[in-house]
This record gives sequence, C-alpha cells and structure tokens, in this order.
Amino acid sequence: MKRLILPLATLLLAASAAAAPDDPVRTVSIREVSVSALRRPMKQIGIQRTEIDTAVLHESISLSMADILSHNSTVFIKQYGRGTEATASFRGTAPEHTQVLWNGMRITSPVMGMTDFSMIPAHFVDEAELLHGTSSLQAAGGGLGGAITLATRPLDTRGPALQYTQGIGSFTTFDEYLRFTYGGRRWQTSTRFSCSTSRNDYRYRNYDKKIFLYDDEHRVTGSYYPVERNRNGEWRDLHLLQEFYFRTRGGDRWSLNAWYLDSKRGLPATTVSYRDDDRIVNEGRERTLRSVAGWERTRTAGRLAAKAGYIYSRTAYDFRNDRGDGTTADMMHVRNRVHTLFADLAGEYRPGERWYFTAAATAHQHFVRSIDHSVVSVGNTPAIGYDKGRIELSLTATARWRPVDRFGLAFTLREELFGDRWSPAVPALFADWVVSERGSVTFKASVSRNYRFPTLTDLYFRPGGNAELRPEHGFTYDAGVSFAAGRPGSWSLTGEATAFDSYIDDWIIRLPMGGSKSFWQPRNMKRVHSYGVETKASLDVRLAAEWRLALDGTFGWTPSINRSEPLGDNDQSVGKQLVYVPEFSSAVTGRLDWRTWRLTYKWNYYSSRYTMSSNDDTLTGRLTPYLMNDVSLEKRFAPRWADLTLRCAVNNLFDEEYKSVLARPMPGIHFEFFLEIRPRFGRR
Amino acid sequence: MFRVPCLRRAFGAALLLLTAGCMEYGPTAEEDFSAVGARGLFVVNEGNFNGGNASLTYYDPATCEAAQEVFRRANGMLLGDTAQSMTVHEGTGWIVVNNSGAIYAIDLETFRVKGRIEGLTSPRYIHFLSDDKAYVTQLWDRRICIVDPRTFRITGYIDTPQQSGKESTEQMVRIGRYVYTNCWSYNNRILVIDTETDTVCDTIEVGVQPTSLVVDRHGMLWTATDGGYEGNPAGHEAAAIYRIDPERRTAERMWEFPGDRRCSELQTDGTGDALYFIMEDIWRVPVDAQRFPVRPLIEAQGTLYYGLTVDPVTSEIYVADAIDYQQQGVVRRYSADGVAVDEFRAGIIPGAFCWKPL
Repeated sequence: MKRLILPLATLLLAASAAAAPDDPVRTVSIREVSVSALRRPMKQIGIQRTEIDTAVLHESISLSMADILSHNSTVFIKQYGRGTEATASFRGTAPEHTQVLWNGMRITSPVMGMTDFSMIPAHFVDEAELLHGTSSLQAAGGGLGGAITLATRPLDTRGPALQYTQGIGSFTTFDEYLRFTYGGRRWQTSTRFSCSTSRNDYRYRNYDKKIFLYDDEHRVTGSYYPVERNRNGEWRDLHLLQEFYFRTRGGDRWSLNAWYLDSKRGLPATTVSYRDDDRIVNEGRERTLRSVAGWERTRTAGRLAAKAGYIYSRTAYDFRNDRGDGTTADMMHVRNRVHTLFADLAGEYRPGERWYFTAAATAHQHFVRSIDHSVVSVGNTPAIGYDKGRIELSLTATARWRPVDRFGLAFTLREELFGDRWSPAVPALFADWVVSERGSVTFKASVSRNYRFPTLTDLYFRPGGNAELRPEHGFTYDAGVSFAAGRPGSWSLTGEATAFDSYIDDWIIRLPMGGSKSFWQPRNMKRVHSYGVETKASLDVRLAAEWRLALDGTFGWTPSINRSEPLGDNDQSVGKQLVYVPEFSSAVTGRLDWRTWRLTYKWNYYSSRYTMSSNDDTLTGRLTPYLMNDVSLEKRFAPRWADLTLRCAVNNLFDEEYKSVLARPMPGIHFEFFLEIRPRFGRR
Repeated sequence: MFRVPCLRRAFGAALLLLTAGCMEYGPTAEEDFSAVGARGLFVVNEGNFNGGNASLTYYDPATCEAAQEVFRRANGMLLGDTAQSMTVHEGTGWIVVNNSGAIYAIDLETFRVKGRIEGLTSPRYIHFLSDDKAYVTQLWDRRICIVDPRTFRITGYIDTPQQSGKESTEQMVRIGRYVYTNCWSYNNRILVIDTETDTVCDTIEVGVQPTSLVVDRHGMLWTATDGGYEGNPAGHEAAAIYRIDPERRTAERMWEFPGDRRCSELQTDGTGDALYFIMEDIWRVPVDAQRFPVRPLIEAQGTLYYGLTVDPVTSEIYVADAIDYQQQGVVRRYSADGVAVDEFRAGIIPGAFCWKPL
C-alpha cells in the first residue's frame, strides 16, 4: 500500500502554501507534508485549533487581523464601519470571552477586557493560531469562547533583505510598509514599519434619513434619501516593530520584540446624526508600546523558557463641541493610561516517547488610570473613572500521555489569581484517537471548566462599578473529527468538523443602577448556552502543469441562547439568540495560480443578526444577512535587481449597499493597488 | 489527476453560487396612519445609545391597541439615536432626539414629519413660549437654545452660569414670565429664566442632581433629586423630594430617602393634586400631604421601572419597564387606584410619554 502522505501538521489555508511566505517566485506545486497522523505532535493532543498561514497573513499590507479572521475562521468579527473598532467572538460568546496573546503576553485590554483587531496589522504577525473553546486553556485562562495567539518569528535569511510595499486605494487611502532584515549565522534583526492613512469619506445612500423640501410657508413639499459621505471616519495609523533574535553556541535562543503603535482615528457619525460636523470633534487616539524579551533552552528531553514584557498604553477619547463663541464643551474627555508588567516561566519535559509534561507560571501586573476629565474630580478621586492596579497570576500544568500511537490523552490544570481572589482549579481533559490511518481520520474530544474574572472597569469604574461581581464561569464540551487525504504533487484535501456545547453562568450584563438613568452597573445576570458545529475544509489541486487551485472554506452554526431566569413576566429574551451574534457564518477563499499570476476570490457570509434580545423581527430588530465578495489579481515580475509584485484588489465587488451594525454605513465597491519591491542585494 | 474541463464547470458553478446572493437593503415603505378624533399616548423609546434604534409607539387608550415604530413606518426613515422627550404644541408633536442633535415636528394624526430642527449639541427637552419661540435644554452644553418652531431654525442662545463639566439643563416649567429648569448632571440648582430678556435671572439651590420638575395646583414647583454617588463632584447625599416656592425662590426638602434609594420621573396628575414618582416602586403623594405614605401605590414586579406618566384626564398611571434594555419594553396601565388595566409592548427602552389631546 502506498504510504499516504498526510498534511496534518501544517494543513490548510494552502492557498499559497507552495511558496514560502517571503519567496517572491511562486512555484506551482502542491505542498507535500510528511507528517502522518500517527506522528502528530503530542502538544496538540485533542486540541481544536485553526492555524493561519503566514502567506495569508502577509497577503496584503492593508489587511488587519480583523479582515484575516473574518475570511479564514468561524470567528465573528463585529465592526462598526471601515477602519473602526473590530472585536472578535468565538462560538457566539462576547468579545470579552476571547483572550489574545502576542508572543506569549496577553494584550487583551485590562480596561475593556477585549481586543481591537483593527489595530493589529496582519503584516506584523508571522504566526496566528486560534484555539477554540476548551483548547484555549492551553494558552490562557478566561477564554470562554477561545483564544488567539499571535507571534513573530525570524526569517530564514542571511545578509540584508528589504521589502517595500506601497498601496493606494479608494477614499484617499495610502498604505506604506517597509521591512528591513539583516541576518547573520546566529543572529537576526528585523525592523518593520507601516503607515496607513485614509480620509475614508466613502459615499453611501442614506436610507435612514431624509432631506425635506419646504415651501415659503415652511411646509414640507417633498423629501428624498440623501447621498452622503462617511463623516469623521478618517484615520492615521503608524506601527513600528523591532525584532532581535540571537542563538548562542550552546543552542539557547534569545529574542526581543518591541511594537509601537500610534493611531488617530475619527469616530464616524451615525446615519442619523444631524449635528453640525464642523463644530464636533469625535476622535480616539492611542499610543501603545508592547515589548517582550525571551530566552529559550531546548534539550532532547525538554525545554525551558522565560519571558518578560512591558506594555504602556495611553488612549484618549475626545467628544467635544465648539459652541461657536470661542468656547468648547467637553462632552467626553477620556484618558486611559495602562502600565502592564509581564513575566512568564515555562518548562517542558519529555521522559520518553509516551509522556510529555508542560508547566507554566504567568504574571501580569496592571496599573490602570482611566478618567473622564469632562467632569471635574474632587480631590484625587476621579469623578468618572478609576485608578487601580491588579496582579493577575496564572499557573498551569499539563500531562500528556500517548499509550499507543493511535490514542492520546492530555490533562490540564490551571489556577488563577486576580487581585486577591483565586479561581477554583480549572481542569481540562483532552483526548484524540486515530480511527483510520488511511485518510488520517482522527477523532478529538475535550471537556473543561473555565473562569473569566471581571475587568477592572467592571469592578471599579465610578460611577457604577460593582466590586461584588463574581467571575463568569462555565463548562465546555468539544468533539470533532478531522481527515486529510491526497496524492503527492497532485491534490490534497483536508477537513475538520467540531461539535461543541458550552454553558456560561453569571454572564455579566449592564443595567441602570437602582432605577437611575444616569449610569449603568455591571451585574451577574445571564446564563448562556452556546452550542453548534464548526467546520473547515481545504482543497489544493494541481489542475495542469502550471495551474493550481486552492480552496479554503469555513462554516459555523453557532446558536448562542439566553437561558437566564426571566427579568420579570414580560422578558422575552429567554430562549433567544444573543444580540448581534449570527447563527450561521461561512467564508470561502479561492486562489487560482498560473505561472506568476494569482487570482484570489473571497466570499463571506453571516446570517441575520438580531439587534434585540427578544429577537423581534421588527424594522430595526434585525440586520439582514451579510454577503460579501472581494477579488484581487496579482502579478509577479523578476527583473535581475529585484522581485516586484503588482496587485489590484476590488472590495465589495458587487457594490452592495449595506450596514453591518445599525446606523453604521459601509462602503460600496472600492479599489486598492499595491506595488511591492524586494531588492536582491547581490543575489540572483 | 482531475480533468480540467470538469473543474472548469465546478469552478463556474461555485462562482455562480457565491455571487448569487445579494444583501437586502433599501428604503422603508411609507404607511398611512390616521389617528383622527381620539386621545392617544405616544411612547418615546430611547433606543440604545449610539444604536440608532430610537422609535415611537402610539397607543390608543380607548381600544387598547398599540402601533409600533410609527415614525419609521409613516416616514420611511429612522427616528434617530436616543430619543429623549416629546411635547405637543398646537397640534404638532415635537420629538427631541438627543444623540442625533435634532428635533422632529410631526403631525399628530398622520405621524408624518412637518419639519426638523438640526444642529443642536445634545437636546433634551423643548418648551414653547409662543408659536414662534421655544427653548431647548441641553446636556453637555450650558447654553439653552432658542428656536423658531415655524422656520425650524435656531435663533439664539441663553448662556447659563454653570461650571465646565457640570453643564446641563433639563425639564422646564413656566410660571408667569419665568421659566424654571433643573440642572441635573453633576449639579444641584434650578435656574430661573426671564422669558422677556432671555437671560438667567436667578438660581435656586436644591439637593444633588435634580432629575425632574413639575408644578402643582398651588403653583408650587417640585423636584426629585437622585442624590448623586460617592465621588460625585456635586456631592453625595440621600435622594429627596423638594418643594420650591417660585415667588420667594426658596426650596424646602420635604422627604428624603436614605440608603441607595433613588427617585426619578416626578409627575403630577391632571389637576396637580398629587405627585407620582419612581423609587423602585411607584409612589403617589398628595401635594398637601404632611407624611410620606407607608406603602407604594404600585409595587415593582421584580424589575426596574424606567418611565412614568399619569393620564391628565383619567389619572390612570402608565409605567414603562425597559426589561433588559435590549428588547421591546412593556408599558403597564393602571387605574388611578393602582389596579392593573392593560399592558402593551413598546420599543427599546421606553423612557418618555406624551399625551395627544383630542
């Protein structure tokens, strides 16, 4: 019997997998991966993960991680417009239930408890992995929906390497990206810089508003829906990432990563705003430095690693009105300042072929000062906001056991300290079983408990902070099957389907405090049951000698149902889908390669999202299904002095008019052009 | 290996499938309404802040029928973001939409738009002085706008003596030539405005954060304060109800409510004989009462009440329950004695009411 070559370890998203991410000359061949299901990494026993290929991450400099996730996973991205905040939700949970790590350090905001993925340029990420449900406990606690790990890594190059990409797009959008790398035998340094600016003033027909025509008596004589521009949506984002890697003679690895971002973004007006734009300032600004230093020693029987990091983040939100008489009124004047210290110690021990142990201790110390200065404080106590610190400690240990080649078991125990409150021990059990080596059919299952502590804002924000809040907690059960098949150099097909069942108790929601309309308070009110199926598949085919087609698809069915006690007799939200969570989602990306050409087609679908917890199908109670089509064409040139790539992208191909959130318009068809240059520096 | 023609067909079919769907988006059809010859109740549903889903519900007390989203259905457009209040003047309803910075004038029978005042910072309430002059109070802007309701234009401003960060004016009551308005946000004062000079001529100090303002049958003003919170720059104290003598411009604390109790939505009946307000339950206190009642008129049913009105003709009580603030709220109708009569659905966060006269 022919030995089946199984693309298990580095599957999927095979789109451009044949080409190394930074290889300018694409070869038209099907990737052959020589890892069989029986040799699967012990670290991945029972893990439900989605790995996003580096080539996908680096496909375009204009893409953020929000774009990447929406097209390559079942994660739901909620975005308030082009170039605005984008949050990620796994399996019908809230954005706060997604933990995000960058080079091992948690970058989820300690203020809001979530991550804005529009602020993470995909070009600054080399490795992205999604850990679904229970599997998130392998990386962090608190990911009731899942966790996303992002990382950088050194290029496999010697000497200098340079990449410069320029992009020009609709709505006066300019993107610049520069990466300079210099590598020696044991060290490498890399500097990445990107700048993105856009006026972002796209036109749209505003069906939420009418312009009225009056006669001389000021009586309405007619009306029409205006064509308006997206107002106050401009942005300017700068990112700088410095990396340094060093490998000692003894094999120890050292790394240093520092990522600085400076962003200024307008907050677009809603479709129902009649304020005078010229008199309003409504913008957010952020300056954040994230840095991680790491050391790693790998030996035959194990590995030891240590990391230390620091985050400084200063965010500002201004909502200000010019009265027109030389004075301004601050409606909001919010300043958040966050210092986070990070330390992590991890060890791995492999006493033999059958056992594998890992343990880690991680600490984050936050110092947060969040104040709305539009209201004058009394003394040192903020009238609106808080000034608090908190230590967050996480201890985890995992034992993995593979008694026979076909079967593996893993048990994880995690415990966390937030401030002075310990979570109970959080266990997770993982198992996998290779049902058939032919087709690499593997069954996976896992079960875990999980906890998420309230954010500092939930606990201490004044007014309304609730220091009595309990952690959200629940159980998650996963079971799935995966397969992989193919013929070397001809085709490969992989797929995976996972069913999950998850309960979250003490879900935190906000309600007006004590009947007061002036401020709201978070409370442990809800119980949510989310369940469903996530599937993904990838097909990679050599159609002819120089033709290759890659198709990657995901489909998710994620009911996320409110199972709380009703808030009174008239509460109709019980048994209903959560607000703004689609029940169905799907994405397909197709890539067709011919010699130095590539055509990419992306399709994305979300089913209706309800805007009311009662799921009433009223005029404003439901957003209609979302269907989006994007296409791009790319051509590579290889003159003697450099590798060049030209790329043209057409987004919203069919010029759809739509909103993804109520009163937030989205752009119609728009275009982007990119030129990428990679000088060869003496290499041919 | 796959054959190319076969894959071509498959690729073509897949492409067709992917591009077949298109999103449903477009104008809302306009509907005709005819609320002729009947008293009615408008429920102003705030909607979620920044959600753009404010709406208007119309309820006919005679037939007990409620129509939802009448503004959108009549006009084919959204009402806006965070509707705050509604006032009727000379057969026209004026809906103040706070976070849209606009005020709509609508026909009370067809619900069709008659005009729109734009360019306001953060309007809260409109109060009419005449057919061509009205005041508009604002949050986050210490100026009260003067508007001409006939032309839908802003014609001037009244600058109020408020510190930065404590700027708000709220409900308005007119007694004689003076308009009184409560400064609710981080404040503790009632402003007195001379309508002939359009200037603030006096201030009256009350408790922390007066939320609402009404006038009784004796011509006395009443306000309910929520008492603020710990760290509030205006102070933190027990919520209370104050009676204000507009002649002498003095305030007297009538009742205070220790603990975390908060009172809001102060209303009177049609005759001005009794005060009604929300303090978890619904309370009624005669304006001449010397003692505070032992029991509420209507007990809360495991939820937080958000809006309150009293029928000026029948003294029936309507209480709005926003439930979880993310679904259609419920309005419960009670007799003047607090006996349940009816209940009906409204929109998201039913926060204010407005009576349509015959």
